[in-house]
Amino acid sequence: MTSLNRRSFLRVGALAGGTLAYTAAAGAPLAQAAVDGKRRVYVLVVDGCRPDEIGADLTPRLAALRNHGTNFPRAESLPVMETIPNHVMMMTGVRPDRSGVPANSVYDRDEKVVRDLDRPGDLRFPTVISRLNRQGFTTGTVLSKEYLYGIFGTRATYRWEPEPVLPITGHAPDAFTMDAAIGMVERFDPNLVFVNLGDCDRVGHSDLTGTTLQAARQAALADVDTQVGRFVDLLKSSGRWEHSVVLVLADHSMDWSRPDRLVSLAPRFEEDPMLAGRVQIAQNGGADLLYWTGAADRRTAAVARMREIALAADGVLSAHAPADLRLSGLAGDLVVFCRSGWRFSDPAQYSNPIPGNHGHPATRPIPFFIGGGHRLVKHRSSSTARARTVDVAPTVGRVFGLAEPRGGYDGHARL
Amino acid sequence: MTPIEIDRRSLLVAGAAGAGTLTLGLGDPEPAEAATAGNRYFRHGVASGDPHPTSVILWTRLTPTPDATPGSGRGPRVAVRWQVARDRRFTDVVATGAFTTSARRDHTVKLEATGLRPRTTYYYRFLYRGLASPVGRTRTAPAATASPDHLRFGVVSCANLQAGYFAAYRHLARRDDLDAVIHLGDYFYEYAPGEYGAGNDNQDVRRHVPAHEIVTLADYRQRHAQYKRDHDLQALHATAPFIVTWDDHETTNDAYRAGAENHQPATEGDWFERKARARRAYDEWMPVRMGDTVDLGDGTALYRRLRFGTLAELSMLDLRTYRSKQAQILADGTVSDPERTITGHAQMRWLKQSLTQNRTQWKLVGNPVMISPVVFPPFPQDVTSAVNDVTGLLPEDGAPYNVDQWDGYTADRREVFRHLADHGVKDTVFLTGDIHSAWACDLPLDAGTYPTESGRSVATEFVCTSVTSNNLDDITGSPRRTTSLGVEAAIQTSNRHIKYLNFDDHGFSVLDVSSRRTQMDYYVVADRTDPRSPASWTASWATRANSQQVHPVDHPVGGR
Repeated sequence: MTSLNRRSFLRVGALAGGTLAYTAAAGAPLAQAAVDGKRRVYVLVVDGCRPDEIGADLTPRLAALRNHGTNFPRAESLPVMETIPNHVMMMTGVRPDRSGVPANSVYDRDEKVVRDLDRPGDLRFPTVISRLNRQGFTTGTVLSKEYLYGIFGTRATYRWEPEPVLPITGHAPDAFTMDAAIGMVERFDPNLVFVNLGDCDRVGHSDLTGTTLQAARQAALADVDTQVGRFVDLLKSSGRWEHSVVLVLADHSMDWSRPDRLVSLAPRFEEDPMLAGRVQIAQNGGADLLYWTGAADRRTAAVARMREIALAADGVLSAHAPADLRLSGLAGDLVVFCRSGWRFSDPAQYSNPIPGNHGHPATRPIPFFIGGGHRLVKHRSSSTARARTVDVAPTVGRVFGLAEPRGGYDGHARL
Repeated sequence: MTPIEIDRRSLLVAGAAGAGTLTLGLGDPEPAEAATAGNRYFRHGVASGDPHPTSVILWTRLTPTPDATPGSGRGPRVAVRWQVARDRRFTDVVATGAFTTSARRDHTVKLEATGLRPRTTYYYRFLYRGLASPVGRTRTAPAATASPDHLRFGVVSCANLQAGYFAAYRHLARRDDLDAVIHLGDYFYEYAPGEYGAGNDNQDVRRHVPAHEIVTLADYRQRHAQYKRDHDLQALHATAPFIVTWDDHETTNDAYRAGAENHQPATEGDWFERKARARRAYDEWMPVRMGDTVDLGDGTALYRRLRFGTLAELSMLDLRTYRSKQAQILADGTVSDPERTITGHAQMRWLKQSLTQNRTQWKLVGNPVMISPVVFPPFPQDVTSAVNDVTGLLPEDGAPYNVDQWDGYTADRREVFRHLADHGVKDTVFLTGDIHSAWACDLPLDAGTYPTESGRSVATEFVCTSVTSNNLDDITGSPRRTTSLGVEAAIQTSNRHIKYLNFDDHGFSVLDVSSRRTQMDYYVVADRTDPRSPASWTASWATRANSQQVHPVDHPVGGR
C-alpha cells in the first residue's frame, strides 16, 4: 500500500477520458482499505432543490430513490437558508451558534470587510468527517463549489477540488462532480462520501425564466437526476448497495423574484441620522444580516431603529435577533428576511441582479430522503418527523456507531 | 349559504307566492325517525365529539318526563350516569360519572370523559332509572408525539331535512374505519316548511319543526331536536366523534357579524339576541367545545385546533361570527377592500399561527365556505393593481360568482395565501362545505398567472357536496350530468386551478391522510328523496406530500 503526502495529488483516470485530481490526508491509503469493512454512507446534496421538483416525470431516478426509501416530507433547511451554513450543519450536527457559521456572507468585524465564510478556520466545531477519521474510518468530500471546498478544507481523508470551475458561478458542473464522486468511490471507497451537486442551484440563481417557465432550471434538474442515477447504478453494479445508506437532501430551496421586487435597505439606513455610515450589511439573497458599527452604548437604540426601517420596506417579511435563530454573533445585530417573490439587493439596487435567491423562510422546504440497501434503511416509508439539515451528522454517526460530540447534537438521527 | 344565490332566492319567492308546496311523505310515519322504544329517555340518540388524545366529549339529551320536550322549559332537574368502556358490552368500564341536567339547558347532557388512552376505540352510554341509552362508539386522537400511519375522516355538510333523507349519513355510518366525522356546517336549516325544500318547485320531502322559521331559543332547540331524531344522523353520531363548525344556517342564511340576509329586525327582533340564542342552543345540542370547554355560557368561540399526532392538525374555522357584511355588487372593488374581513382579525392571527407553527405534517383547515378563487376571468394581480391605481373598481382577483365565500373577501384570502408562500408552509389542505357541490382545487397565489411560479399553488382544497341541499340540477330541473356539464366546463376553463367539479350529486366524502398524501373520496347517493337510497363511489382526488396540487386517483380507500 502506498501512502500519499498530505497535499500531494493523486491523478486517476476519469470516466470521461480525462483525469481526476484528488488530495489526500497524510498516511491515507492509496487503494481501498477502509478499516470498517462494508458500511458506507453517501450524502448527496442537490443544492437548491425544492421538494416539489422531484417527481417521476422530470427526475425519475431521484423519485425512485425517494419512493423506495424513507421520505421526510416535512424536511427543512435552517436559518440562514444558505449553502455554507447548512452544509456545515449537515457535517457537524449543531446549529450555527455552536459551529460559528451562520451564513454564506458575514461582516467580519476584525477585518472590517464583508466576506464569505470559506476558510477552514471559520468552522469551529468538530465535523463528523473528522470524528470518523479519528475512529479509523475514511471519508471523502466531493464539493462542487469553491467556497465549500474552502471551508471543509482538508478535513476529509480524500478530497476532490472542484474542476473545471465555471466563471461567475464558482462551481464545477454536475457531470464533472459526479465523475469525481464515482472515481472516489471506485478508487478509494471511503466509508463516508459527502457530495455537493451545484448545478440546480447555480442555474436556478440565473434562470431568467424563474417566475415563468423555469426552462434552465428544469434542464438542470433533469441532468442532476441523471447524475444521481449514475451513482446509484455504480453502487448496485459494484455490490455496494446492500451495505449503503444514501442520504439525498438539499441545503435550501429556491425562490424567484422579478427585477422590480428588490429590497435595498442600505439607502434607507443612509437617510437616517442615527444609522448613516454606521451599518454594515452582509447580503445573503433573501436574508440581510445587519451590523451596527457605531458606538456600543447606542447599539440597542440603533438596532431598534434598523428594525423599524427594515419592517417598513415593501417586501420585508420579518426581522429577528440572531440569537432567536440560533445564529452566532458573527450574524450581526439583526437578521432581516424578505417575502416570497422578493430579494435583497444591498448596498445598491444593482448589487444583486440574479432572479433566483434563497436565505428567507420561503426557501426552507427541502427534499430529504434516505435510500440504499443497508438494513437500517426503512423501505417504502414516509415519515412525519421534522427532518432538518442538522440531522445528517447524527444519522451518519448512527450508521457508524459514532459517539455524540461534546455537548451533544442539535439534530436527530433519522434512521 | 347556497350556491347560485340569485336563483335560490327567486325560487323561495316563487314557492311562497305559489299555491302551496307539494310535500312528499307527509302521510308517512317518519320512516327515518329513530325508534327508541326501549330507550324512551334518550330519544335524541348519543354523540361524541372533539377527540383529544386522552379525552372526548360525550353528549345526549334526556327526556325525563313526557312533558320535558325540547324547548318546552319543562321537566325536573335530574342526574344521569355515564360510562365509557373498552367493549360494546361494557364489561371493561374505564370511566364513569354522573351529570346533572335540567330544563335550564333543555335537558342536554354534555361532558368531557377524561383519562382515556390515545387513539383507542371506546364505547359509551348513559343510564337513567335503570335504562341505558343506545351505545355510541368513539375514538380518541393519537398522542401528540405519535406518528399514525394514516387517519380517516368522514366529511359532510349541508343537510336540509326538508330537501330529503340523510342516506348519506347512513352510508357513512356503516363504515367502521373513521377516526372522526368532520361536519363543515349547515348541520340544519332555519327555514319554515315550504321555504326551502327539494328542487326547482321547492317541495318539502319532510317538514321542519317548528313549522316556522326559527327565531326564539325554543325554536332553535326544537329544530336541533328534530334533526337529532333522524335515524341516519343518530347512527352516524353513534359511529364516530364529530368535529363540527357552523356555517350560516345554524343561525340564518348569509349571516355576518352584524346581521343576515334572512333576518329582518322589524319582525324578528334584535340580531345579536337572535344570534346569541342560536349559539346557546348549538352549545347545548352539539358535541363541541365552544369557548374551549364543554361548559355552557363560557363563551362562543368556535374556532379551535385538534391535533392528531405529528401527522395532521385540524384547524376548524368560524367564518360567520366575525365577518363583514357581504358585498352587494359582485364585480366591483368592494370585495377587495382590505377593511373588510371574513375571519376577523383575531381569528386570522390564530389561523396564520396554526399554519406556521408546523407541529404536524398536514395542516388541515375546516373551512365552512370555499377559499379557491372562482372568478370570471381571473385577472393577474399586477393587472388589477395597475387598473385600480386609476379606478379602484376591479375586484383584485377577477369578478366572483359568489361573494359569500372567500371570493367576497379577497384581502383576507391574499393574506392567507401570501402567508403560506412567505413562510414556505407546505401540505395545507382546506376542507370545505357550503356550496352543495364537489370540487378539488389547487389554490393559486395568483389565479391570473397560474400555474407559473408567480401564480403557483400554495395549498389545495377539497369541497364536499351536500347531504341533501339543492345543487344545480335540482335548481334547473335537468337530468343530472346534462346541463351542469356546460357550467362546470365554463368555470374550469376560466379557472384552471379547479381540477374537479360536480354540480349535481349529493352525498358524502371520506378523507384519508397519510404521510405520503391526503386523499378525498367522493360518494354520491342515488336519490336524496328515497330514504333507502343506495350510494356509490364517484371520484377520488389526492394531493401528494409537498406537491400543493391535486391529482385524480382511480380508486377509493377501503374500509378496515
